[in-house]
Amino acid sequence: MVLPPNVSQADFNAALNEFRSAVEPSWVFSSDEDVALYRDSYSINWGEPDERVASAAVAPAKVEEVQQIVRTANRYRIPLYPISTGRNLTYGGSAPNMRGSVVVDLKRMNRVLEVDEKRAFALVEPGVSYFDLYHYIRERNLKVMLDVPDPGWGSPMGNSLDHGAGYTMAAFRDHFGAHCGMEVVTPDGELIRTGMGAVPNADSWQDFHYGAGPNVDGLFAQSNFGIVTKMGFWLMPMPEAFLTGTVTAPRHQDLEALVYEVSYLEDLGLTGMPQYGSPVGRGAFGPGAAAMASLMQNGWPSAEAIENFVTAQKRPAWSVQLYFYGPEETVRATWQAAKRRIGKAIAGATFQDGEFMTLPIPKENEPTQSDKPRLGIPALEVFNMVARNQGNANDPSDGHADLFVTIPRKASALFEAARVLYETYKELGMPAQGNPFPTPFTYYSRCFWTGTTVPTWRDPEKNARSRAIFEKVINRCAEHGWVGYRTSPAFQDLLISKYSFNNHALLRFQEKLKDSIDPNGIISPGRYGIWPASMRKNRA
Amino acid sequence: MVNRRTVLKIGATTLTGALVNLPVLSRKAASARTHSAFQRAVFDDRFAECQAFATELESPGALTSAIRGDVAKLWYEDLRVHLSKKRTPVAGLTDRPGLFCLEELARDVGMRVIFRADHITEQNGCTQHAAVGLPSLVAVARKLAPEPGFGRQMARLFSQFDGGGLNIGEPRDAAAQKLTGPFSPENKTTLVSWVIA
Repeated sequence: MVLPPNVSQADFNAALNEFRSAVEPSWVFSSDEDVALYRDSYSINWGEPDERVASAAVAPAKVEEVQQIVRTANRYRIPLYPISTGRNLTYGGSAPNMRGSVVVDLKRMNRVLEVDEKRAFALVEPGVSYFDLYHYIRERNLKVMLDVPDPGWGSPMGNSLDHGAGYTMAAFRDHFGAHCGMEVVTPDGELIRTGMGAVPNADSWQDFHYGAGPNVDGLFAQSNFGIVTKMGFWLMPMPEAFLTGTVTAPRHQDLEALVYEVSYLEDLGLTGMPQYGSPVGRGAFGPGAAAMASLMQNGWPSAEAIENFVTAQKRPAWSVQLYFYGPEETVRATWQAAKRRIGKAIAGATFQDGEFMTLPIPKENEPTQSDKPRLGIPALEVFNMVARNQGNANDPSDGHADLFVTIPRKASALFEAARVLYETYKELGMPAQGNPFPTPFTYYSRCFWTGTTVPTWRDPEKNARSRAIFEKVINRCAEHGWVGYRTSPAFQDLLISKYSFNNHALLRFQEKLKDSIDPNGIISPGRYGIWPASMRKNRA
Repeated sequence: MVNRRTVLKIGATTLTGALVNLPVLSRKAASARTHSAFQRAVFDDRFAECQAFATELESPGALTSAIRGDVAKLWYEDLRVHLSKKRTPVAGLTDRPGLFCLEELARDVGMRVIFRADHITEQNGCTQHAAVGLPSLVAVARKLAPEPGFGRQMARLFSQFDGGGLNIGEPRDAAAQKLTGPFSPENKTTLVSWVIA
């Protein structure tokens, strides 16, 4: 058994007994086998002395129990780590930020409190998963659509509070951005509601997110200033139709214009999340693998060599799949407008009509949909899609850690990042990764993400290598101002250290808040680099 | 191939010795009188070994549920509801993603993997078996032959397991928990037989 740091066995036992009084004994878990359930399945420290494992777990059923747990934790200085469904794999999962914390498993708080079809919002508790909310909506035939991550087994609350994102329209796939109103148990056990929720008789808690005065909601995302117990979300009204279309652009240099035109459409709210691709740059395993290897054999090629490569391949350099949601007249007209604009901007661009369907999809047709997340349908199929691949030919990993860095939404930034990552991997002695045809992640509509993923293992030696690679990539990207938007606890201190403007003034400000709001440092110590004063490293 | 003589030699303590000497028809009849620990079982319909597993388990009266790689519908519309009302052990033969997902989801109802055997089949058809967890099951699973047929053998093992000493929620060794992630070798077929309790 692991004890919380600086907590005696006697105090820990006393705290567990108080937890048992608060939630009933059967919902306090302290055996090794029970606590093992909360291990991070993708941990990059598996089995090592500093693996972030819990000392115990407690599962409250209501807000009052959460408040009691927090008050007990203050009495005995027990660090707590709240989770909703605990399935944020690659970013820590159900394991705490700090070894020895008690996991507060909010799975029993699983009520969908309200879904208003006409005002298009939902109010949920932490334990409500995307599957739960989806089934709630479908069973009642409500005309609203979810935006879901993939896989969809997490919760709207958990995903949004870690700045997760989805696949539909910009206003909804920024999950935290789409929230409206919170209820939070603060570190002293108090209960607050934000926005219009702070007005006792207001019926607009999920209609207007600011209220008056400073909006504090952001303090509770990727942080440790409280335990969120209710959260509202704006939902997309169910569109009448869904249409896809694919655009190709012939030349490597066309990406700049393509990005501009696609971003124009998205910024106007006319399209959903674009899916960029490169017919000639499909990586090491595609039909053009040999030609690509030849292009890259002497390092990063020149612009001329790249264009000559594209010409020789007789395939377009770029493609982008566009997704339209709305009335049939609108989606068809918008696609026509997209063709007109892009056709004018990019000589030789081609267009292919894609799928059209009316929404909502009949339930019996759901299983056969190939892109469920873009239709707001949660799924777990991604695990099967990636379970066996050539990257896992002989020695499959046990998980992965992901780093997505934020870069400006422009082609030149994407090219530069691809080149730097390519050279970084080369310096590390890794097999060549990347080529001049990178495609961005567009989860957040106003920026691009690019990045890397490293395997994680049940083998400490292999994990040590993965950690070294990950840290090198974080450091190298940061030299160019590209820093990740989230990461697993193993790297959060390093990641946050890159947000260093004015001698880390932002973190110092957050620490002042932490010292004031949570002087005993009981909520998620160390989350995103915010440590309680008693655990803080000395800094110059 | 595991046959009745092999099973007798293994002498697994939780197998009902008299069963293994009976001809097949009688075994079905006898099995109906045997209390198997498993009323529910999951199998992946895409694999022949899993289909044989399910067929074998249906005889003693287990309710088998087919998936085709994706456990979402089974879990959210069936198993979670069933296990939330009454936690009973569930057996299965699936690929690694199937077990990985069910293992993560089972935490919601306080259940965990207590036995697993990874059956990795090479391209030449030979299968290696590696088991961990409940000792009585491990003892048999580790000695499975490399030839095809392990799906049926694991089902027989499960159907004859009377659950001696298996109490839901009782703490035990966590060795079988989270043994691997969802990934498996690209050039081999990896199936996993498992018990969640």
